[in-house]
Amino acid sequence: MSCNTSVTHVRVSSVSQAQGVPVHLMPCEIEHNGPAEVSQYFTATTKDHKHEKTVSFRGRGLKGQEIRCPEGYTGLVLKEISKPGSDQEDRTVKVSSVFDKLTYWNLETPPNSDDTVVLAMDWPKMAEAIHGPVED
Amino acid sequence: MATKKKRTPNVHNDSWVVIAADSVIDPQTHGSDPAFVRLRNPSTDGASLYVLASGDAQLYEVKAFEEDLHSWFVGQTVQRDGKLLFVTPMDPLYLILPYLVKCGKEGKFQPVDQVVMDEEFPACSRLLRCTRSLASLHHIAEEKEVGSLKFHRYSEEKTMNWLKKKVERTVVALRNRNISVGEGVKSTTYVRVKSESDYCEEDYLRYGHGLISEYISEDLSKALLRHLQLPELTSPKETEPPSKRRKLSDKPVEAGDDYTKFNSPDFARKPPKKMTAAQKSLAKVDKTGMKTMSSFFSPKVKAEKK
Repeated sequence: MSCNTSVTHVRVSSVSQAQGVPVHLMPCEIEHNGPAEVSQYFTATTKDHKHEKTVSFRGRGLKGQEIRCPEGYTGLVLKEISKPGSDQEDRTVKVSSVFDKLTYWNLETPPNSDDTVVLAMDWPKMAEAIHGPVED
Repeated sequence: MATKKKRTPNVHNDSWVVIAADSVIDPQTHGSDPAFVRLRNPSTDGASLYVLASGDAQLYEVKAFEEDLHSWFVGQTVQRDGKLLFVTPMDPLYLILPYLVKCGKEGKFQPVDQVVMDEEFPACSRLLRCTRSLASLHHIAEEKEVGSLKFHRYSEEKTMNWLKKKVERTVVALRNRNISVGEGVKSTTYVRVKSESDYCEEDYLRYGHGLISEYISEDLSKALLRHLQLPELTSPKETEPPSKRRKLSDKPVEAGDDYTKFNSPDFARKPPKKMTAAQKSLAKVDKTGMKTMSSFFSPKVKAEKK
């Protein structure tokens, strides 16, 4: 398999120009990639309560919560700079945006600590145990 | 919810949402940019995605957290692919180990740079440049020094002791995180428990063994189970005839089908030998090689796959 030799480079110098952006994980698949007026039609109608946020999206009530990236970790949105001509060519991505927290939305259930995305934030700590050096 | 709308495959994805260790993008360690590379996954023997950064000094694992029917809003854009990638530091020894095991069968001491070679995955030699690699080889191999040259030979005994320590570290972390490890816990129902005393030492050991088994071959996983003095469990799935069990993973991946299959452990285990053009373009959006997060929260996965 020749494509195993191709490498995707991350252009680190792009980080300094990357802007912090609000990031939302939506509980539905939206068949679109590209611009949308998120702040006007989504963020603007979001209501903030004590422990949860609520919003109506496509006629459904969503309940959401903001969670922070784990300590020592940064959220990055990587974007491909140009499409490669074949799967054997190296690819390059840049850091187009950064985030230190994200908002995830549930369809009906109020956000809680057993939500899978919340649990996923535990992964770096578990990985540290699995991959940290062992003593002799 | 009975009718499921047929979705078009998402082939135009050129953007990924990632949570990465700060060190990956540390401008202090510039010199060379970090890179996503494909290396041989020690558990599946297939290709998986990893990151080498800081001039190859540090290896990272790439894990996909993915739930069906999710998308992102990133700033003022929609990103259809709702996957979240985690890039976390990884012990390069897990990836080096299979090469040593393979050469160890000859029983000779060899220079490690002649051992860690792979025509299919040429990037594997870069693993030896990781800061921790050469310094930790003694955990899995006997060392011999002749003049200024070092030679290594795989040692199962050392490896088992090393892996046991890995399991023990993992068990401590599981207890600290209050992660439920009981019998009924499956990937999707992974929950936090309030009282850790509900679970016995064996449950934790098994769970830890399951997590470590994601990084080693089936043979080593079984040997480690014996080393930990845990009896093999016979789950109902294991007693099924092999032909019946294999069916699922042998099913060809169809292009029009749910593309998330590219990311399932089954796919990673048995990539189709020949792909159609459509499948190739799907594969190119980088569904291959990233193991799903759910496999991490289900230590039984390994046992069930057999």
